[in-house]
Amino acid sequence: METVFWEYALPCFCAFWACVGFTLMFNIHGLGKLIAGVGGALGWLVYLLGGQTIFAAFLAAAAIGVFAEVMSRVRRCPVTGYVLVALLPLVPGGGIYYAMRHGVAGETDAFLSTLLHTFGMAAALAVGAMLASSAFRAVFPRLRPPKQ
Amino acid sequence: MDYEKLLNMAAELGYQLMYSGAEIYRVEESARRLLHAYGLESPEVFAIPNCLIVSVATPAGQPVTRMRRVPLHGTDIELLERCNGLCRRLCAEVPPLDEAQALVDALPEAIPRYSPRMMLLGYGAAPAFFAPLFGGGLRDLACAFLCGLAVGLCLLYGGKFIGANSFFRTAVCSALAAFLSLALVEAGLGESVDVVTISTLMVLVPGVALTNAMREIMAGDTFSALSRTADAILVASAIALGAAAGQALGGLF
Repeated sequence: METVFWEYALPCFCAFWACVGFTLMFNIHGLGKLIAGVGGALGWLVYLLGGQTIFAAFLAAAAIGVFAEVMSRVRRCPVTGYVLVALLPLVPGGGIYYAMRHGVAGETDAFLSTLLHTFGMAAALAVGAMLASSAFRAVFPRLRPPKQ
Repeated sequence: MDYEKLLNMAAELGYQLMYSGAEIYRVEESARRLLHAYGLESPEVFAIPNCLIVSVATPAGQPVTRMRRVPLHGTDIELLERCNGLCRRLCAEVPPLDEAQALVDALPEAIPRYSPRMMLLGYGAAPAFFAPLFGGGLRDLACAFLCGLAVGLCLLYGGKFIGANSFFRTAVCSALAAFLSLALVEAGLGESVDVVTISTLMVLVPGVALTNAMREIMAGDTFSALSRTADAILVASAIALGAAAGQALGGLF
């Protein structure tokens, strides 16, 4: 029980509040704040459950994509804001930083492998969210609100 | 019907949408649908990340074109949602042009915005809650909060000194974050320089550009997707460059 709290519940709680912090920067009001926060927590939970690999990031982005699509149907709002904020905790900021550290230290091998891992993470996020929302739209076309 | 007025109204709505950080396909589709709702057969709308062109041919065969240059802008989801809602409403109700123009013009003023103090709180809170995600403790959390506040101050009030160039702005903020993290850890408040720096850099990370690039690819706007990807890579290099400079500077003391 205690491991569940420290390993999963606390990080998700933090991801939730970090995303709510981001909603202040992107001028999201009302219920949107809650949705973005829950999306971020959900994404981080999937990422942790998947073992924090590139594939886990892919699955997390897919989960966020589907969640945001569902929520935009429920609220009849553009999906943009929710995906945008919920994906932010997964963006490889650490990768950029460590790649820089290795690069400055002249460790070319470590630099290249960190850099490629960072690109991999970014690509996994983009492809995951893209595939999930395209698939969602293909499967549930009738749920699509009358556009614009 | 006064087609010049109609064109102005559609271009203004498209401009507001672009300014709120909407995707290209949403801008093009919204303006096209709006013009269509007002009875134009084949309105042409073309947008790339910093330019919007709307062109129509009146029933008499007279071509009319309006171009808007979109300046550097952030992301404003509330404005985006309201523009989207207004566009749907205009398409459904098709009110007289003057009324529609007044509604579009009233958009930017009616948007609720957070006070600078609240935004600053956001800039502090986001890095603070990232610290535990990257393995930091309570002391790292406090440091990240302080560094986040400094970056927020720099972004909100430093525009006059560091200019609007996003590459340079990101590099300066990143250098500030790296330097301050190093200083706070040296002063004994934080535990890990890496954790505090990464947590603070998360507010600068090009997540928005990356997500937008992905959505442009999905919609088939390859040109905009490429330009946004280039933007993401540039911002990422600015972060790395700034952090390297900040740490080198901190290492001198």
